[in-house]
Formats: sequence, structure tokens, C-alpha cells
Amino acid sequence: MFSSYFKLAIKVLGRHRFFTFISLFGISFTLMILMVTTSFLETELGSHPPLTEKDRMVLLPRLIMKKMVTDTTWSVDTTMLDGQPAYDSTFTVGKMRQNSYSSSSLSYSFLDRYMRDIPGAEAHSFFCADTQFDIFINGKKLNFKTLYSDAAYWEIFDFKFLAGRPFQPSEVERQVQVAVLSRKAAVDYFGTTEQVVGRSIEMDGKQLEVIGIVEQPSNSKGYVTSEVYLPFTLMSGSALTETGFHGPFTAVFLAESPEARATIVEAIRQKAGRIPLPNPEDYNKLELMPATVIGLYAYHMMPVQDDPEGALQMFTMVAIGLMLLFILLPTLNLINLNISRAMERSAEIGVRKAFGAHSGSILAQLVFENVVLTFLGGILGWLFALALIYLVNDSQVLGDTQLQFNTAVFLYSLLICLVFGILSGLLPAYRMSKLHIVNAIKFNAL
Amino acid sequence: MIQLENITKVYQTKVIETTALDNISLEVPEGEFLSIMGPSGCGKSTLLNIMGMIDEPTTGQVTVAGKLVGNYHSKATARFRNEQLGFIFQSFHLINELSVIDNVELPLIYRKVSGKQRRQMAEAALTQVGLSNRMKHFPSQLSGGQKQRVAIARAIVGQPRIILADEPTGNLDSAMGNEIMDILMRLNQEQGTTIVMVTHDETMARKTHRLVRLFDGQQVS
Ligand SMILES: Nc1ncnc2c1ncn2[C@@H]1O[C@H](COP(=O)(O)OP(=O)(O)OP(=O)(O)O)[C@@H](O)[C@H]1O
Ligand SMILES: [Mg+2]
Repeated sequence: MFSSYFKLAIKVLGRHRFFTFISLFGISFTLMILMVTTSFLETELGSHPPLTEKDRMVLLPRLIMKKMVTDTTWSVDTTMLDGQPAYDSTFTVGKMRQNSYSSSSLSYSFLDRYMRDIPGAEAHSFFCADTQFDIFINGKKLNFKTLYSDAAYWEIFDFKFLAGRPFQPSEVERQVQVAVLSRKAAVDYFGTTEQVVGRSIEMDGKQLEVIGIVEQPSNSKGYVTSEVYLPFTLMSGSALTETGFHGPFTAVFLAESPEARATIVEAIRQKAGRIPLPNPEDYNKLELMPATVIGLYAYHMMPVQDDPEGALQMFTMVAIGLMLLFILLPTLNLINLNISRAMERSAEIGVRKAFGAHSGSILAQLVFENVVLTFLGGILGWLFALALIYLVNDSQVLGDTQLQFNTAVFLYSLLICLVFGILSGLLPAYRMSKLHIVNAIKFNAL
Repeated sequence: MIQLENITKVYQTKVIETTALDNISLEVPEGEFLSIMGPSGCGKSTLLNIMGMIDEPTTGQVTVAGKLVGNYHSKATARFRNEQLGFIFQSFHLINELSVIDNVELPLIYRKVSGKQRRQMAEAALTQVGLSNRMKHFPSQLSGGQKQRVAIARAIVGQPRIILADEPTGNLDSAMGNEIMDILMRLNQEQGTTIVMVTHDETMARKTHRLVRLFDGQQVS
């Protein structure tokens, strides 16, 4: 039965070229967008190295200091008493109000002093991302993004090593001049990734020995995406000795399980309330902003201040809204096309029913035809999506993000096609299947 | 084979009420070839559709092949139609997207019949109407007479006991019309199929066993 439906579906599509073209165009375009979006979300938010354990991580990227003041107003009432003016004054104590505000990443000394023993954290690492260095080699200027970290960094983020190894706690402690390079940095500097381990690279006036090469993370997260990774003890200037709270560092904590992240978040928030501020006249309230990997991602995308969870909610709503809109509009369009075209086929439906088809088989046939159409559109959309992904990656419009199209994305896409096909086919098919036989046959001659 | 008791069909539109059939009682015995005549609009098609269980009377009872017709929209009624009835329409109503053989197979896809067996049965039906050499053609490549023969093949492929034909020769010239008539008569004689045919052609009607005349929704002879 379905093979005969399939045959018919293909023939119907071939016969109504214009309809087929319009529908396929709409479907494939929509599915392309959905597939690229899925690919984008999967690349940015999926669990891939170095963020395989992303669901167990809590990041602490931000420390906020505020000065809170109480609003007081003084008002004077004047009344006439015995021909003399009398004054009556009142103080109103209002709400706490924020007066000044300062927000940035954290200093090493703050982290070292207060953030080493957070309950619920199995491991933690402090690191400083996003420093830039210009390197001159053979008269060419290279700009390398540099990340300074401790040794624990490599345990929490599971980088894929192409060669060599990460630096050890003892090397960090002894300020050994070693470096881990990304594949790109190795290729840019040495022209190859082969036998680079053991050679040295000159940077910031230091001779650094390359001890490892890691695969480039394919996402845009600044706390893992870098070109050179160095022991933080090699940082110059006062970065490590500065006693203020603000500084260039970020912390990451690894929870036992995804659920256990809540404990860490809560512990960090509570701790913030107990830490004495150095200059209460300037700032008298300290807040820490712990965030999950996804929360921090949303935080960077949404206009929300100091609230990654709120940002995540907003991000989710915006994403769902856009997706729905993107699915809904073409679905409505396809429903509309289907209804108008299904009318052309009313005589066929009447004849089928006269020869023993019941409503259910008509419904199945029409939905099936639509699913076939959608899958054709899906294949086209898939090809378009692959082309678009290639273009996006090639042109690097998304920066370091390299979109991937893997099995997960493919399965999501299949699901999207199926849902889309059934949704847009069901309503017209239902209407057609309920047609009265005599009216259907009369409606027009085949 | 078919019993109609006090059948009335009233079409209710916003403006007027049309009585298409007015208290018709009619019995078609098994193996009969019955023709129905009457002026345009007198209710012939309506009557035939009611006999074929594809239209519902306003009042009255319909019994087909010993079964009193109840719910017109049920799966069981669809299956009953599939097994007992074959339709032939004035304007053929073949599915243009399907080849001749696929058109003929249509009633069989709603039965539990293997693909191979479907093909065999469809080939046999096409041979019966003399079109075994046109199986891979499409309806648009056939003459009117050939199309109607395909439609007959489709109506008989499932070996129904009743064939209902609404002006099967109405769109054909007399030579082609006679061919179609011959096929129907042969079917009736050789296989005992009960046939009810609406026609405007006296000579065709005279070839059948019995002629029923309608006028304004009433049986006049
Ligand atoms: N769906 C409908 N709604 C309203 N009136 C209808 C409908 N179908 C048929 N009629 C009316 O019922 C009457 C009988 O129609 P029917 O089609 O049975 O006539 P007929 O005898 O087959 O005519 P013809 O020879 O032209 O085919 C006509 O007056 C027609 O206008
Ligand atoms: Mg008629």
C-alpha cells in the first residue's frame, strides 16, 4: 500500500512542477535554517572536548562591588499658627539604592584567598584568558591569544592533545618556561604540527619550550579558545601580587554531578556575603556571579546585567520563539498550498472512497505524500545547510566557532523534517479525508 | 440484490428545498441488468448513488446484498463497498498520475492482496475489456472509449456482485458506446453480475432486462 502511495506521491509531485518547486523551495530553505541553527547550538553548547564535562562545571567570571545608600528625604511643612508661620519637618527613610557599581573579572589574590575550598567542588582552576601577544617571526607579525592557567586547568577541560602533554603542577610552581600551543598556533609559527614538541618559541621576551599541541576548540568560548597556553606563574607585572579584588582571572569549579552544581553556586553566593570589603566607604556590598557554561553563554548574548540564569531564560525563550516562528510561517504556507491543491484532487479522493478507501487510509495517503515532499525538501535543505556551514566556517564570520554537522545534528534534522511534514500535511489531509463522496466526485472532473 | 424502501432524498439549500427523490421503492433482483431513464435533473444519479451507498437517503431503507446499510462513514461500509460494488462514471474519473494498470489496481490496494496478485488480477480485468496492450499507458494517451474500458476494468477487478454505471456511454460516440454496452452485457450474462445503468439512450436501455423511468423524483414506470 505504501509503495503505491510512494509511487503516486512522486508522480503527483512531478506533475505539479510549480507547486512542487514552490513547496520545495520553502521547505528546503526552512529546513536549511533549522539545520544550521541546530548545528550552531550543537557546536556551541554540545558536550565536546574540551568541554565534555560542561554540565558539571561552574564558572566564576565576575565580581561585582556596589555602594548601597539609603534614600532619605527631609521635607518641611509650613502652617500658620496664631498668625505666625510654624515649621514642621519630617525625615523619610526610603529604600536602599545603589550608588556606585564596579564589575569585572577577579584578581588572583582574591581567588587564592577565598575560593580554594568551595564545598561541593571536586576540583578547581584559576586562569587568565584573552591576553594578546604580538610575535615576530621571519619579519611577519603574528598575534597570539594567550591563556595563563594552573595545572588543574588541564584536568577540568579535556583538551585533545595532538602531541606532547600539558604542564605539571611542579612546572607551574617552579615557573618553568613551557608552553602548550593550539594546532593553529603551531602551524602559524612553525609551519607544521610535526615534531614541534621540544622546540622553542620566543614570546614576551622569553624562550618557551613547546611541550604540547592541542586541537583547536571549535566553539567561541574565551575560557578555552586560545592559541598559546602558559603556566600562570609566568605572568609579568603585578598581576599575581595585586591585592585588590578585581583582576584578570576567572575560576572554574568541577562538581561531582550536574545536580551538585547548585551546591557550588549557593556556596559561592553565600561566601560573597561574608567577605570583608577593603574600602567600605567606596563599596560596601560584594557580589559574585557564578554561572554554568550555558548560562554564561546566554549571558554574553543577552542584554542582562549580572544574572546568567535570567539571561539563560531569556535566551531560551528567544530561541524557542524564533524557532517556532521559523517553523510556523512555512508550515502555514504549506498548509495553505496543500489545501488549495488538495481541492484539485477531490475527485480522486471521491473515487478512492467509492472504491473502498475509508477516511483513515485517505488521511494516511495524503500525510504520507506530504512527508515524502518534506523529506525531499529535507535532502535539499541538508545540502544547502552543508554548503552554508562550509561557507560560514570558511569565511570565519563566527570567529573561532567551526560549525559541525554530526550524527546528532543529522538526527535532529530528521526529526524536524518528520514533525514539519506531519504538521503541515495533517490539517489539509484531515479535511480532505472527511469529504462527502458524491460531492468530492462532482467537485471537478479529473 | 438491492432493495430500496420508501427512499426520499431532499437537498436543503439556504434558498430552496429540492426533492430529488420522492418515496421510491424498488427492488433489483440478483443477476438483473436494469436501466434507469428520465429527463435531466429527475434524480437518476441520486438514485444510483444511494444504491451504491455513496450517498445517504433523507428517509427510507437501503439493503444491498442482504445487508441493511447503517453507518455510511464506517470502515465496515467502506470495506463492504470495496468488496461488493463497482462504479463506472460518465466522465471516467481515472487518476491521471497513474498508469492504466495502476488505475485498475486501485480497488485492490484497499484489500489484503499481494502486489503480485494485484498485478495478475488487473491484467486479467484489462484483458477482459480488450486493453491488455495498453497497460503502461497513461489516461491522457487513451481515447474516450479506451478510458471507459479502463474504468470498467477498474470496476470489475475486485469481482464485485454489483456494477453501478452512471451514463457510461454518455461521453462516447455510438460505435464506442456499443462496445461498452457489449462488455457490460457480456459481464451480466457470463458472470451474473447485477448491473444498474443510468442512460439517456433508448436503444441502449432496450437491450437491458428492465427499464425504470423517473420523472421529477418519482418512478413513472
Ligand atoms: N448537492 C446538491 N445540492 C442541491 N441540489 C442537488 C444536489 N445534487 C443534486 N441536486 C438536485 O437534485 C436533483 C436531482 O439531481 P441528479 O443529479 O440526481 O439528476 P440526474 O437525473 O442525474 O440529472 P442528469 O441527467 O443531468 O445527470 C436536481 O434537481 C439537482 O439540482
Ligand atoms: Mg446524473
